[in-house]
Amino acid sequence: MKQIKLRVIIIGAFFTFFFIIIGVKAMYLQVFRGSWLSQKAANQYEVSFKSSGKRGTIFDRNLREMAVSIDVTSIAAHPSQIEHPKSAARLLSKALKIDRKVLAKKLNSKKKFVWIKRKVTPKEAEAVKKLNMEGLDFILEHKRFFPNKTLAAQLIGFTDIDDHGSEGIEYNYDDDLSGEVFQYTVLRDAHGRGFEAEKMTGLSSSGKNLVLTIDSTIQYIAEKTLGETVKKFSAKSGMVIVMVPKTGAILAMAHVPLFNPNALKRSHRKYWRNRIITDPFEPGSTMKIFSAAAAIESGSSSPSSIFFCENGAYKMGKHVIHDTHEHGWLSLQQIIKYSSNIGAIKFSAVTGSEYLSRTFQNFGFGSKTGIDCPGETAGNLPPFRRWTKVDAGTISFGQGVSVSALQLIVATSAVANKGILMKPYVVQAITDHNGRLIKSFGPRRIRRVISEKTAGMLSRIMQTVITEGGTGVNAALEGYSACGKTGTAQKIDENGRYSYDKYVSSFIGFAPVENPKIAVLVVVDEPVKQHYGSIVAAPAFKAIAQKTLDYMHIAPKRKTDKVMVSLRR
Amino acid sequence: MMIDRRFVKHFDWGLLGLTFLIVFLGLLTLYSAVTSSTAGPQKILYFKQLVWYCIGLAAMIFSLFINYKLLDRWAPVIYAMCMFLLLYVLLFGKYVAGAQRWIMMGPVSIQPSELAKIAVIIILARYYSKHANIGGLNLRELFTPFLLAIIPFILIVKQPDLGTGMIVLLIAGSMTVFVKIERRSLLCIITSCTITVPLVWFFLKGYQKRRILTFLDPDRDPLGAGYHVIQSKIAIGSGMISGKGFLKGTQNALAFLPEQHTDFIFSVLAEEWGFLGAFILLCLFLIFIIWGLNIAYRCREPFGTIIAVGVTAMIFWQVFINIAMTMGLMPIVGVTLPFISYGGSSVITTMICVGLLLNISMRRFLAE
Repeated sequence: MKQIKLRVIIIGAFFTFFFIIIGVKAMYLQVFRGSWLSQKAANQYEVSFKSSGKRGTIFDRNLREMAVSIDVTSIAAHPSQIEHPKSAARLLSKALKIDRKVLAKKLNSKKKFVWIKRKVTPKEAEAVKKLNMEGLDFILEHKRFFPNKTLAAQLIGFTDIDDHGSEGIEYNYDDDLSGEVFQYTVLRDAHGRGFEAEKMTGLSSSGKNLVLTIDSTIQYIAEKTLGETVKKFSAKSGMVIVMVPKTGAILAMAHVPLFNPNALKRSHRKYWRNRIITDPFEPGSTMKIFSAAAAIESGSSSPSSIFFCENGAYKMGKHVIHDTHEHGWLSLQQIIKYSSNIGAIKFSAVTGSEYLSRTFQNFGFGSKTGIDCPGETAGNLPPFRRWTKVDAGTISFGQGVSVSALQLIVATSAVANKGILMKPYVVQAITDHNGRLIKSFGPRRIRRVISEKTAGMLSRIMQTVITEGGTGVNAALEGYSACGKTGTAQKIDENGRYSYDKYVSSFIGFAPVENPKIAVLVVVDEPVKQHYGSIVAAPAFKAIAQKTLDYMHIAPKRKTDKVMVSLRR
Repeated sequence: MMIDRRFVKHFDWGLLGLTFLIVFLGLLTLYSAVTSSTAGPQKILYFKQLVWYCIGLAAMIFSLFINYKLLDRWAPVIYAMCMFLLLYVLLFGKYVAGAQRWIMMGPVSIQPSELAKIAVIIILARYYSKHANIGGLNLRELFTPFLLAIIPFILIVKQPDLGTGMIVLLIAGSMTVFVKIERRSLLCIITSCTITVPLVWFFLKGYQKRRILTFLDPDRDPLGAGYHVIQSKIAIGSGMISGKGFLKGTQNALAFLPEQHTDFIFSVLAEEWGFLGAFILLCLFLIFIIWGLNIAYRCREPFGTIIAVGVTAMIFWQVFINIAMTMGLMPIVGVTLPFISYGGSSVITTMICVGLLLNISMRRFLAE
């Protein structure tokens, strides 16, 4: 018996020893390897998802919606939970009209999560829900919707599938518009099924709203008139800007051809750009306004200084410059009125290249205006030191220099605004989702470009342009006085030479003269039937300015005004 | 049956209390294993386990009141019955997960292999209490116990249930070593074992070979055969020192743990209660085992001593193998963790074992 007792003790020691082994192993796993294994565990069960709140709305200045976000359903799948990928692919491809093979590949993949189709129509979502298939997920997302379809589409831009702005205002103000992105962790079980671990609540997750300076009515007027003009002259494209000269606020930015951002795929991407801002072009005669400004401001000429216009042909070195009409002696005022290229060369020669170049620069040519839109071009104003005599001549009437439509209207507005250049802007306020103001943007003065006196003289000169005999007579408004300038620029063809059949016709102006409320620029690219700015663009200016002033309830002047203007001349 | 006052006086309240403590821990862990999971076993299993413990308690009381010495006489009958059941289950048993381990008896199904462990303990105790001697058993004397153990082993392995079969052999082996083997015979056995063990490889089923290979290198097939042990180690390790808290085990709740209510229940406990929990459970088991051996030590006649040693060995091996396998120290074999794992037959067998220990403990004075 004694021996047995000893053996019991031995066996006890033996058992205890084995227990120590597993105890040590447990300690090794849990104490020494614990954090490493915890991380491994977390990698298995934690999946983080990003979810963004609703994107803010873009309003026009009257708080009419221009871009809104609506709730849509996206369909995703957890392939591991789908029992029969083959038949599932067949049913889904039928309901969603997507390729069955692509679907089958997705459903057979080893991934835990795949998108089946994002942002489906309510009808499609309903059809898929009816299938009652396991392993599918219906995820709420937001889709951008543009209720006015084509209206101001190039300015507003659009968003990509992930709700990020990829063009226009949507792009430029993406940070403000985007809903707050919050990341949340979802616990996932071994079968890939997710469980929401923590739901973020109380977060104001929707994005901020934008209030534009754009007036959708004026925008509509501009687009409609421009569309008609482009159609009438079989032009390639056209642009219109309407701006408040005193503030720099943009009222309309119209482009033709239009495109519908709700159905991007149906339009060519070359129409998506806001060309007013991004595309430089040779302005042609509209540039004479600023040459004249330099001439007067420098003191080298006055509106009544006279210049010999060589009867329509002026030889400069190897080149011969032509005017459309033969003129003899013209005053500076008349040179602008009849748009004489030779006259412009003559008075600019007196001004001097350096002064001319500096004035152009002060008007904002050759540098970005700093508008709150993406992709702005600075245009091209060559440094005056590199100008040849011919360059200096042609630049004075708008050839050999390129500008954006925006620069052109901003510079013209400076004339209308008594010589002060304003910074253009399209967003006037940012509000939160309750409509409370967060930030507002007002007029910003850049600099004085010319004296008030010079500006006044220029206005009067530009007023004569649209009087009897002037190139802009077709732009004359009923009931309102107006200033303007035509532009007809030859385009540079593929060979780098000036083309004889491709033109850019333009008209720029502002009204009423005494207290300018709007500045309007019309640019028509490659009109076919006619190419003079006076015939193509001036009537469009008239229509847009007339309707806009009426719409803005600007009181028209008495009829006699028109007579008085011509008398003053 | 007359209840002797001395029984009450000698009743081993300590062992009973210890048992209840472990059972309580087990139920707590099982609750977590069956409820916090979304995809795993059903909550109903917890209530079933409660019912099993009631039955187990009845079985314990039953085996407590019958004088264990009667078992000496009844051992062959019990053994024969168990062997019959094992044979029956092989021929007519219910298949569960590819193995024939169950006999359906109305609403309940029982695993005769669990009961066979007790039968082997009793029959060997009977044999060894008669044949043990100072010099140790020789080969001829060992032949009968060898047969007695190898028959249930083969029947169980045939089911196939290698885990339980091995437990039977380990129990028999422990008891045999305990009663002492003659030195020459021992050498003989060791040499023959070294020769035969490699041969066993050829008799193993494909999945059993895979398990052994995966044990040697779990990363060989992390999503296949190695998945269980890797997931189990992750669960245990991520519990760290103080655990994730009751019902907060992620690996358990998110169904990464396989068989979390049966074979891998220790992982659930270790994940939720951390090293502290695991350590406490190990200590409780060690106390239980030492307590069992103490009963063997204090028992004054060989039959009781050997039964106590056999029963304790059974608990020890199951605890050791189960926990060792969840931590990757041993190949995965289907061995349940006594008191903790879900399972009717396992609960009843374990409770009968406790009953036997209490029985021997309170009757120790009778030997005088």
